[in-house]
Amino acid sequence: MEVIKNFPDQELVANLRSGKRMDETIKTIYRDYFETLSWYVLNNSGSRQDAEDVFQEVVVNFIDLVQKDKFRGESTVKTFLYSLNRFTWLNELKRRGRSLAREARYEKAQDFAIADVSKEMTGRESTAQVIELVERLGENCKKILLMFYYEDFSIKEILDELHYENEQVVRNKKHKCMKQLEKMVNENPGLKETLKNILHG
Amino acid sequence: MYSKLVRYLDGELTGEEKDALEQQLGIDPALQEEFANLRLAREAVRQYGLRKQVAAIHDSMIKELRPPVRRIGSVRRVIRYSVAVAAAIVLIVGSFLAYKFYTLSPNKVFASRYQSYELITTRGNDKSDKPIEKAYREKNYQEVKRIHKTGEDNSVKAEFLNGMASLETSDQSGAIRSFNEVLTLNKQSAKPVMDDEAEYYLALAYLKNRDYDLSLALLEKIRDEKDHLYHSKVTTKFIRQLKWLKSR
Repeated sequence: MEVIKNFPDQELVANLRSGKRMDETIKTIYRDYFETLSWYVLNNSGSRQDAEDVFQEVVVNFIDLVQKDKFRGESTVKTFLYSLNRFTWLNELKRRGRSLAREARYEKAQDFAIADVSKEMTGRESTAQVIELVERLGENCKKILLMFYYEDFSIKEILDELHYENEQVVRNKKHKCMKQLEKMVNENPGLKETLKNILHG
Repeated sequence: MYSKLVRYLDGELTGEEKDALEQQLGIDPALQEEFANLRLAREAVRQYGLRKQVAAIHDSMIKELRPPVRRIGSVRRVIRYSVAVAAAIVLIVGSFLAYKFYTLSPNKVFASRYQSYELITTRGNDKSDKPIEKAYREKNYQEVKRIHKTGEDNSVKAEFLNGMASLETSDQSGAIRSFNEVLTLNKQSAKPVMDDEAEYYLALAYLKNRDYDLSLALLEKIRDEKDHLYHSKVTTKFIRQLKWLKSR
Protein backbone atom coordinates (compact mmCIF):
# COMPACT_ATOMS: atom_id res chain seq x y z
CA MET A 1 0.00 0.00 0.00
CA GLU A 2 1.17 3.46 -0.83
CA VAL A 3 2.05 5.59 2.15
CA ILE A 4 0.09 8.81 2.08
CA LYS A 5 2.18 11.68 3.31
CA ASN A 6 1.18 15.14 4.30
CA PHE A 7 3.91 17.55 3.39
CA PRO A 8 4.20 20.82 5.18
CA ASP A 9 4.03 23.77 2.75
CA GLN A 10 7.78 24.31 2.72
CA GLU A 11 8.62 20.74 1.85
CA LEU A 12 5.93 20.63 -0.81
CA VAL A 13 7.23 23.78 -2.47
CA ALA A 14 10.86 22.61 -2.21
CA ASN A 15 9.97 19.32 -3.91
CA LEU A 16 8.18 21.06 -6.77
CA ARG A 17 10.99 23.56 -7.22
CA SER A 18 13.68 20.91 -7.40
CA GLY A 19 11.56 18.48 -9.42
CA LYS A 20 12.36 15.71 -6.96
CA ARG A 21 9.61 13.32 -5.80
CA MET A 22 7.27 15.11 -8.20
CA ASP A 23 4.70 12.32 -8.59
CA GLU A 24 4.35 11.84 -4.87
CA THR A 25 4.06 15.59 -4.27
CA ILE A 26 1.44 16.10 -7.00
CA LYS A 27 -0.62 13.26 -5.52
CA THR A 28 -0.46 14.95 -2.14
CA ILE A 29 -1.80 18.16 -3.66
CA TYR A 30 -4.74 16.22 -5.09
CA ARG A 31 -5.48 14.43 -1.84
CA ASP A 32 -5.19 17.54 0.31
CA TYR A 33 -6.93 20.11 -1.83
CA PHE A 34 -9.10 18.60 -4.55
CA GLU A 35 -12.26 18.14 -2.50
CA THR A 36 -12.07 21.59 -0.92
CA LEU A 37 -11.40 23.37 -4.19
CA SER A 38 -13.92 21.46 -6.29
CA TRP A 39 -16.57 22.64 -3.84
CA TYR A 40 -16.15 26.18 -5.16
CA VAL A 41 -16.75 25.15 -8.78
CA LEU A 42 -19.66 22.87 -7.89
CA ASN A 43 -21.33 25.66 -5.96
CA ASN A 44 -20.88 28.17 -8.75
CA SER A 45 -22.75 26.47 -11.56
CA GLY A 46 -19.97 24.02 -12.44
CA SER A 47 -20.16 20.27 -12.90
CA ARG A 48 -17.94 17.61 -11.35
CA GLN A 49 -16.10 17.42 -14.69
CA ASP A 50 -15.55 21.19 -14.64
CA ALA A 51 -14.15 20.96 -11.11
CA GLU A 52 -11.74 18.21 -12.20
CA ASP A 53 -10.56 20.11 -15.30
CA VAL A 54 -10.12 23.35 -13.37
CA PHE A 55 -8.14 21.61 -10.65
CA GLN A 56 -5.80 20.08 -13.22
CA GLU A 57 -5.15 23.56 -14.64
CA VAL A 58 -4.57 24.88 -11.15
CA VAL A 59 -2.01 22.21 -10.32
CA VAL A 60 -0.10 22.79 -13.56
CA ASN A 61 -0.06 26.55 -13.06
CA PHE A 62 0.91 26.23 -9.41
CA ILE A 63 3.90 24.00 -10.18
CA ASP A 64 4.90 26.26 -13.04
CA LEU A 65 4.81 29.34 -10.81
CA VAL A 66 6.75 27.61 -8.05
CA GLN A 67 9.42 26.51 -10.51
CA LYS A 68 9.72 30.07 -11.79
CA ASP A 69 10.07 31.21 -8.21
CA LYS A 70 6.85 33.23 -8.43
CA PHE A 71 5.42 31.64 -5.31
CA ARG A 72 7.40 32.88 -2.38
CA GLY A 73 5.25 31.68 0.46
CA GLU A 74 3.63 35.05 1.14
CA SER A 75 0.36 33.21 1.49
CA THR A 76 -0.18 29.58 2.41
CA VAL A 77 -0.30 26.98 -0.34
CA LYS A 78 -3.98 26.51 0.45
CA THR A 79 -4.87 30.18 0.03
CA PHE A 80 -2.81 30.41 -3.12
CA LEU A 81 -4.41 27.32 -4.66
CA TYR A 82 -7.85 28.57 -3.68
CA SER A 83 -7.21 31.87 -5.47
CA LEU A 84 -5.87 30.12 -8.56
CA ASN A 85 -8.88 27.85 -8.58
CA ARG A 86 -11.34 30.73 -8.35
CA PHE A 87 -9.50 32.74 -10.98
CA THR A 88 -9.39 29.78 -13.38
CA TRP A 89 -13.08 28.97 -12.96
CA LEU A 90 -14.25 32.56 -13.34
CA ASN A 91 -12.17 32.85 -16.51
CA GLU A 92 -13.71 29.68 -17.83
CA LEU A 93 -17.21 30.99 -17.09
CA LYS A 94 -16.36 34.21 -18.89
CA ARG A 95 -15.09 32.23 -21.85
CA ARG A 96 -18.41 30.38 -21.94
CA GLY A 97 -20.25 33.68 -21.95
CA ARG A 98 -21.62 33.21 -18.51
CA SER A 99 -20.53 35.15 -15.52
CA LEU A 100 -21.35 35.16 -11.89
CA ALA A 101 -22.86 38.27 -10.36
CA ARG A 102 -19.98 38.56 -7.98
CA GLU A 103 -17.44 38.17 -10.76
CA ALA A 104 -17.60 41.90 -11.50
CA ARG A 105 -16.78 42.71 -7.90
CA TYR A 106 -14.04 40.11 -7.93
CA GLU A 107 -12.42 41.56 -11.01
CA LYS A 108 -12.34 45.00 -9.47
CA ALA A 109 -10.88 43.77 -6.23
CA GLN A 110 -8.42 41.33 -7.84
CA ASP A 111 -7.12 38.64 -5.63
CA PHE A 112 -4.02 39.89 -3.87
CA ALA A 113 -2.57 36.38 -3.58
CA ILE A 114 -2.28 35.92 -7.33
CA ALA A 115 -2.39 39.53 -8.52
CA ASP A 116 1.21 39.40 -9.78
CA VAL A 117 1.00 36.09 -11.54
CA SER A 118 -2.43 35.96 -13.17
CA LYS A 119 -1.02 37.00 -16.54
CA GLU A 120 1.31 34.05 -16.64
CA MET A 121 -1.38 31.49 -16.20
CA THR A 122 -2.24 29.60 -19.27
CA GLY A 123 -5.77 29.00 -20.38
CA ARG A 124 -7.01 25.79 -21.89
CA GLU A 125 -6.64 26.98 -25.48
CA SER A 126 -3.01 28.02 -25.16
CA THR A 127 -2.29 24.76 -23.41
CA ALA A 128 -3.70 22.84 -26.33
CA GLN A 129 -1.55 24.90 -28.73
CA VAL A 130 1.64 24.11 -26.82
CA ILE A 131 0.81 20.41 -26.59
CA GLU A 132 0.07 20.26 -30.29
CA LEU A 133 3.32 22.05 -31.14
CA VAL A 134 5.52 19.61 -29.25
CA GLU A 135 3.55 16.61 -30.51
CA ARG A 136 4.49 17.67 -34.04
CA LEU A 137 8.15 16.97 -33.30
CA GLY A 138 9.31 13.48 -34.15
CA GLU A 139 9.19 10.90 -31.38
CA ASN A 140 12.97 10.90 -30.88
CA CYS A 141 13.21 14.70 -30.75
CA LYS A 142 10.40 14.81 -28.24
CA LYS A 143 12.14 12.24 -26.04
CA ILE A 144 15.54 13.92 -26.07
CA LEU A 145 14.21 17.41 -25.46
CA LEU A 146 11.87 16.26 -22.66
CA MET A 147 14.63 14.32 -20.96
CA PHE A 148 17.03 17.21 -21.16
CA TYR A 149 14.80 20.23 -20.51
CA TYR A 150 12.05 18.77 -18.37
CA GLU A 151 13.52 15.79 -16.55
CA ASP A 152 16.98 17.35 -16.19
CA PHE A 153 18.84 14.34 -17.59
CA SER A 154 22.46 14.91 -18.56
CA ILE A 155 23.68 14.13 -22.09
CA LYS A 156 25.38 11.06 -20.65
CA GLU A 157 22.17 9.82 -19.05
CA ILE A 158 20.29 10.32 -22.31
CA LEU A 159 22.96 8.34 -24.13
CA ASP A 160 22.53 5.46 -21.67
CA GLU A 161 18.79 5.60 -21.98
CA LEU A 162 18.36 5.98 -25.74
CA HIS A 163 21.44 4.08 -26.98
CA TYR A 164 22.98 6.58 -29.40
CA GLU A 165 26.58 6.05 -30.60
CA ASN A 166 28.15 8.63 -28.35
CA GLU A 167 27.50 11.86 -26.44
CA GLN A 168 28.33 14.02 -29.46
CA VAL A 169 25.64 12.31 -31.50
CA VAL A 170 23.15 13.00 -28.72
CA ARG A 171 24.29 16.61 -28.51
CA ASN A 172 24.01 17.11 -32.28
CA LYS A 173 20.60 15.47 -32.34
CA LYS A 174 19.43 17.70 -29.51
CA HIS A 175 20.66 20.84 -31.29
CA LYS A 176 18.89 19.80 -34.44
CA CYS A 177 15.67 19.17 -32.56
CA MET A 178 15.86 22.57 -30.85
CA LYS A 179 16.40 24.25 -34.18
CA GLN A 180 13.33 22.51 -35.56
CA LEU A 181 11.21 23.48 -32.58
CA GLU A 182 12.48 27.04 -32.56
CA LYS A 183 11.55 27.33 -36.22
CA MET A 184 8.06 26.03 -35.53
CA VAL A 185 7.59 28.54 -32.70
CA ASN A 186 8.83 31.37 -34.87
CA GLU A 187 6.40 30.50 -37.63
CA ASN A 188 3.44 30.76 -35.29
CA PRO A 189 3.12 34.35 -33.97
CA GLY A 190 0.06 33.56 -31.83
CA LEU A 191 1.80 30.72 -30.08
CA LYS A 192 4.95 32.79 -29.73
CA GLU A 193 2.97 35.44 -27.90
CA THR A 194 1.43 32.81 -25.63
CA LEU A 195 4.83 31.38 -24.76
CA LYS A 196 6.20 34.86 -24.12
CA ASN A 197 3.37 35.46 -21.66
CA ILE A 198 4.00 32.15 -19.94
CA LEU A 199 7.69 32.88 -19.71
CA HIS A 200 7.68 36.53 -18.77
CA GLY A 201 4.22 37.33 -17.51
CA MET B 1 27.25 29.94 -33.82
CA TYR B 2 23.93 28.22 -33.40
CA SER B 3 25.27 25.39 -31.30
CA LYS B 4 27.12 27.94 -29.15
CA LEU B 5 23.82 29.72 -28.59
CA VAL B 6 22.19 26.44 -27.47
CA ARG B 7 25.10 25.70 -25.15
CA TYR B 8 24.72 29.22 -23.71
CA LEU B 9 21.02 28.50 -23.19
CA ASP B 10 21.92 25.27 -21.43
CA GLY B 11 24.42 27.08 -19.18
CA GLU B 12 27.38 25.20 -20.63
CA LEU B 13 29.45 28.19 -21.74
CA THR B 14 32.03 29.50 -19.39
CA GLY B 15 34.81 32.02 -19.26
CA GLU B 16 35.87 33.76 -22.43
CA GLU B 17 33.42 31.92 -24.65
CA LYS B 18 30.54 33.09 -22.50
CA ASP B 19 31.73 36.68 -22.33
CA ALA B 20 32.23 36.81 -26.08
CA LEU B 21 28.78 35.52 -26.79
CA GLU B 22 27.16 37.90 -24.34
CA GLN B 23 28.98 40.76 -25.99
CA GLN B 24 27.80 39.61 -29.39
CA LEU B 25 24.23 39.31 -28.11
CA GLY B 26 24.36 42.88 -26.90
CA ILE B 27 24.98 44.22 -30.38
CA ASP B 28 23.30 41.69 -32.69
CA PRO B 29 19.47 41.97 -32.80
CA ALA B 30 19.15 38.92 -35.07
CA LEU B 31 21.10 36.83 -32.57
CA GLN B 32 18.97 38.24 -29.78
CA GLU B 33 15.86 37.21 -31.66
CA GLU B 34 17.18 33.73 -32.20
CA PHE B 35 18.12 33.35 -28.56
CA ALA B 36 14.67 34.58 -27.50
CA ASN B 37 13.10 31.95 -29.77
CA LEU B 38 15.30 29.25 -28.27
CA ARG B 39 14.13 30.19 -24.81
CA LEU B 40 10.53 29.98 -26.01
CA ALA B 41 11.17 26.56 -27.51
CA ARG B 42 12.66 25.37 -24.22
CA GLU B 43 9.63 26.78 -22.40
CA ALA B 44 7.31 24.88 -24.76
CA VAL B 45 9.09 21.62 -23.88
CA ARG B 46 8.89 22.37 -20.18
CA GLN B 47 5.19 23.20 -20.39
CA TYR B 48 4.54 20.06 -22.41
CA GLY B 49 6.39 17.86 -19.93
CA LEU B 50 4.65 19.38 -16.92
CA ARG B 51 1.19 19.06 -18.45
CA LYS B 52 1.74 15.47 -19.49
CA GLN B 53 3.02 14.52 -16.05
CA VAL B 54 0.12 16.18 -14.22
CA ALA B 55 -2.39 14.75 -16.70
CA ALA B 56 -1.15 11.21 -16.04
CA ILE B 57 -1.42 11.63 -12.27
CA HIS B 58 -4.72 13.50 -12.64
CA ASP B 59 -6.52 10.53 -14.14
CA SER B 60 -5.44 8.08 -11.46
CA MET B 61 -6.08 10.56 -8.63
CA ILE B 62 -9.56 11.45 -9.89
CA LYS B 63 -10.37 7.75 -9.89
CA GLU B 64 -9.12 7.48 -6.34
CA LEU B 65 -10.97 10.56 -5.12
CA ARG B 66 -14.23 10.13 -7.04
CA PRO B 67 -17.04 9.18 -4.69
CA PRO B 68 -18.00 5.56 -5.35
CA VAL B 69 -21.07 5.16 -7.53
CA ARG B 70 -23.04 2.03 -6.86
CA ARG B 71 -24.10 0.53 -10.14
CA ILE B 72 -26.94 -1.89 -10.15
CA GLY B 73 -27.64 -4.47 -12.80
CA SER B 74 -30.78 -4.41 -14.89
CA VAL B 75 -32.31 -7.38 -13.06
CA ARG B 76 -31.75 -5.72 -9.72
CA ARG B 77 -33.13 -2.48 -11.14
CA VAL B 78 -36.30 -4.28 -12.24
CA ILE B 79 -36.58 -5.88 -8.80
CA ARG B 80 -36.05 -2.53 -7.17
CA TYR B 81 -38.79 -0.87 -9.25
CA SER B 82 -41.14 -3.82 -8.68
CA VAL B 83 -40.60 -3.61 -4.96
CA ALA B 84 -41.24 0.13 -5.10
CA VAL B 85 -44.47 -0.37 -7.06
CA ALA B 86 -45.57 -3.17 -4.72
CA ALA B 87 -44.82 -0.99 -1.72
CA ALA B 88 -46.86 1.82 -3.24
CA ILE B 89 -49.78 -0.54 -3.84
CA VAL B 90 -49.55 -1.90 -0.30
CA LEU B 91 -49.51 1.66 0.99
CA ILE B 92 -52.53 2.70 -1.08
CA VAL B 93 -54.54 -0.41 -0.25
CA GLY B 94 -53.44 -0.14 3.38
CA SER B 95 -54.49 3.50 3.56
CA PHE B 96 -57.81 2.65 1.94
CA LEU B 97 -58.45 -0.18 4.39
CA ALA B 98 -57.35 1.94 7.32
CA TYR B 99 -59.73 4.65 6.17
CA LYS B 100 -62.52 2.11 5.90
CA PHE B 101 -61.61 0.69 9.29
CA TYR B 102 -61.62 3.98 11.13
CA THR B 103 -64.69 5.40 9.46
CA LEU B 104 -66.70 2.22 10.00
CA SER B 105 -69.62 2.70 12.39
CA PRO B 106 -72.36 0.33 13.56
CA ASN B 107 -74.98 2.66 12.08
CA LYS B 108 -73.27 2.61 8.69
CA VAL B 109 -73.10 -1.17 8.64
CA PHE B 110 -76.67 -1.40 9.88
CA ALA B 111 -77.92 0.99 7.18
CA SER B 112 -76.16 -0.95 4.47
CA ARG B 113 -77.66 -4.26 5.64
CA TYR B 114 -81.08 -3.27 6.83
CA GLN B 115 -84.09 -3.71 4.69
CA SER B 116 -87.59 -3.06 5.99
CA TYR B 117 -89.48 -6.26 6.45
CA GLU B 118 -92.44 -6.48 4.09
CA LEU B 119 -95.44 -8.50 5.05
CA ILE B 120 -96.35 -10.90 2.29
CA THR B 121 -99.50 -9.72 0.62
CA THR B 122 -101.89 -12.30 -0.69
CA ARG B 123 -104.75 -11.34 -2.91
CA GLY B 124 -107.80 -9.98 -1.10
CA ASN B 125 -106.38 -10.58 2.30
CA ASP B 126 -106.63 -6.95 3.38
CA LYS B 127 -109.83 -7.66 5.21
CA SER B 128 -108.43 -10.69 6.92
CA ASP B 129 -105.45 -8.63 8.21
CA LYS B 130 -105.23 -8.42 11.92
CA PRO B 131 -105.08 -4.81 13.21
CA ILE B 132 -101.39 -5.16 14.06
CA GLU B 133 -100.59 -6.39 10.56
CA LYS B 134 -102.66 -3.56 9.06
CA ALA B 135 -100.83 -0.98 11.16
CA TYR B 136 -97.47 -2.49 10.16
CA ARG B 137 -98.41 -2.52 6.49
CA GLU B 138 -99.29 1.19 6.82
CA LYS B 139 -95.94 1.77 8.51
CA ASN B 140 -97.74 3.00 11.60
CA TYR B 141 -95.10 1.62 13.91
CA GLN B 142 -96.32 3.47 17.00
CA GLU B 143 -99.72 1.77 16.51
CA VAL B 144 -97.98 -1.61 16.15
CA LYS B 145 -96.19 -1.05 19.42
CA ARG B 146 -99.38 0.17 21.11
CA ILE B 147 -101.37 -2.89 20.06
CA HIS B 148 -98.50 -5.15 21.20
CA LYS B 149 -98.41 -3.41 24.52
CA THR B 150 -102.11 -3.97 25.12
CA GLY B 151 -101.57 -7.70 24.70
CA GLU B 152 -104.55 -7.93 22.36
CA ASP B 153 -102.54 -10.02 19.92
CA ASN B 154 -100.14 -12.42 21.58
CA SER B 155 -99.27 -14.34 18.43
CA VAL B 156 -95.65 -14.98 17.51
CA LYS B 157 -96.18 -12.91 14.38
CA ALA B 158 -97.38 -9.94 16.46
CA GLU B 159 -94.27 -10.30 18.61
CA PHE B 160 -92.12 -10.26 15.49
CA LEU B 161 -93.90 -7.21 14.04
CA ASN B 162 -93.36 -5.40 17.34
CA GLY B 163 -89.68 -6.21 17.03
CA MET B 164 -89.60 -4.77 13.52
CA ALA B 165 -91.59 -1.67 14.57
CA SER B 166 -89.12 -1.14 17.44
CA LEU B 167 -86.19 -1.46 15.07
CA GLU B 168 -87.81 1.02 12.67
CA THR B 169 -88.20 3.51 15.51
CA SER B 170 -84.64 2.98 16.79
CA ASP B 171 -85.79 1.22 19.91
CA GLN B 172 -83.10 -1.44 19.90
CA SER B 173 -83.78 -2.89 23.33
CA GLY B 174 -87.48 -3.31 22.49
CA ALA B 175 -86.53 -5.04 19.26
CA ILE B 176 -84.02 -7.34 20.99
CA ARG B 177 -86.60 -8.30 23.57
CA SER B 178 -89.28 -9.12 20.96
CA PHE B 179 -87.03 -11.08 18.59
CA ASN B 180 -85.65 -13.13 21.48
CA GLU B 181 -89.22 -13.78 22.56
CA VAL B 182 -90.05 -15.01 19.05
CA LEU B 183 -87.09 -17.40 19.11
CA THR B 184 -88.01 -18.69 22.58
CA LEU B 185 -91.61 -19.26 21.59
CA ASN B 186 -90.54 -21.00 18.38
CA LYS B 187 -88.32 -23.38 20.33
CA GLN B 188 -91.36 -24.50 22.27
CA SER B 189 -93.49 -24.78 19.16
CA ALA B 190 -93.75 -27.57 16.66
CA LYS B 191 -94.38 -25.03 13.91
CA PRO B 192 -91.85 -22.20 14.22
CA VAL B 193 -93.04 -18.91 12.78
CA MET B 194 -90.68 -16.30 11.27
CA ASP B 195 -87.73 -17.98 12.95
CA ASP B 196 -85.13 -17.11 10.30
CA GLU B 197 -86.41 -13.55 10.04
CA ALA B 198 -86.23 -13.13 13.82
CA GLU B 199 -82.64 -14.38 13.89
CA TYR B 200 -81.48 -12.05 11.13
CA TYR B 201 -83.20 -8.95 12.46
CA LEU B 202 -82.07 -9.79 16.00
CA ALA B 203 -78.49 -9.82 14.70
CA LEU B 204 -79.07 -6.38 13.19
CA ALA B 205 -80.64 -5.11 16.41
CA TYR B 206 -77.62 -6.33 18.37
CA LEU B 207 -75.37 -4.61 15.84
CA LYS B 208 -77.15 -1.30 16.21
CA ASN B 209 -77.00 -1.73 19.99
CA ARG B 210 -73.23 -2.37 19.70
CA ASP B 211 -73.57 -5.90 21.09
CA TYR B 212 -71.05 -7.12 18.50
CA ASP B 213 -70.38 -10.52 20.11
CA LEU B 214 -74.02 -11.48 20.13
CA SER B 215 -74.58 -10.14 16.63
CA LEU B 216 -71.53 -11.98 15.31
CA ALA B 217 -72.60 -15.29 16.88
CA LEU B 218 -75.96 -15.09 15.15
CA LEU B 219 -74.52 -14.01 11.80
CA GLU B 220 -71.97 -16.84 11.84
CA LYS B 221 -74.78 -19.29 12.58
CA ILE B 222 -76.76 -17.95 9.60
CA ARG B 223 -73.70 -18.10 7.40
CA ASP B 224 -73.15 -21.74 8.32
CA GLU B 225 -76.74 -22.74 7.57
CA LYS B 226 -77.03 -23.07 3.83
CA ASP B 227 -80.83 -23.23 3.83
CA HIS B 228 -81.28 -20.27 6.14
CA LEU B 229 -83.53 -17.67 4.49
CA TYR B 230 -80.93 -14.97 5.07
CA HIS B 231 -77.89 -17.10 4.31
CA SER B 232 -77.02 -15.11 1.18
CA LYS B 233 -77.27 -11.79 3.05
CA VAL B 234 -74.48 -12.74 5.43
CA THR B 235 -71.43 -12.16 3.30
CA THR B 236 -67.77 -12.47 4.28
CA LYS B 237 -67.52 -8.70 4.09
CA PHE B 238 -70.39 -8.33 6.55
CA ILE B 239 -68.73 -10.71 9.01
CA ARG B 240 -65.41 -8.86 8.58
CA GLN B 241 -67.05 -5.52 9.27
CA LEU B 242 -68.52 -6.93 12.46
CA LYS B 243 -65.11 -8.25 13.51
CA TRP B 244 -63.55 -4.85 12.83
CA LEU B 245 -66.17 -3.10 14.89
CA LYS B 246 -65.63 -5.63 17.66
CA SER B 247 -61.84 -5.19 17.61
CA ARG B 248 -61.97 -1.42 18.03
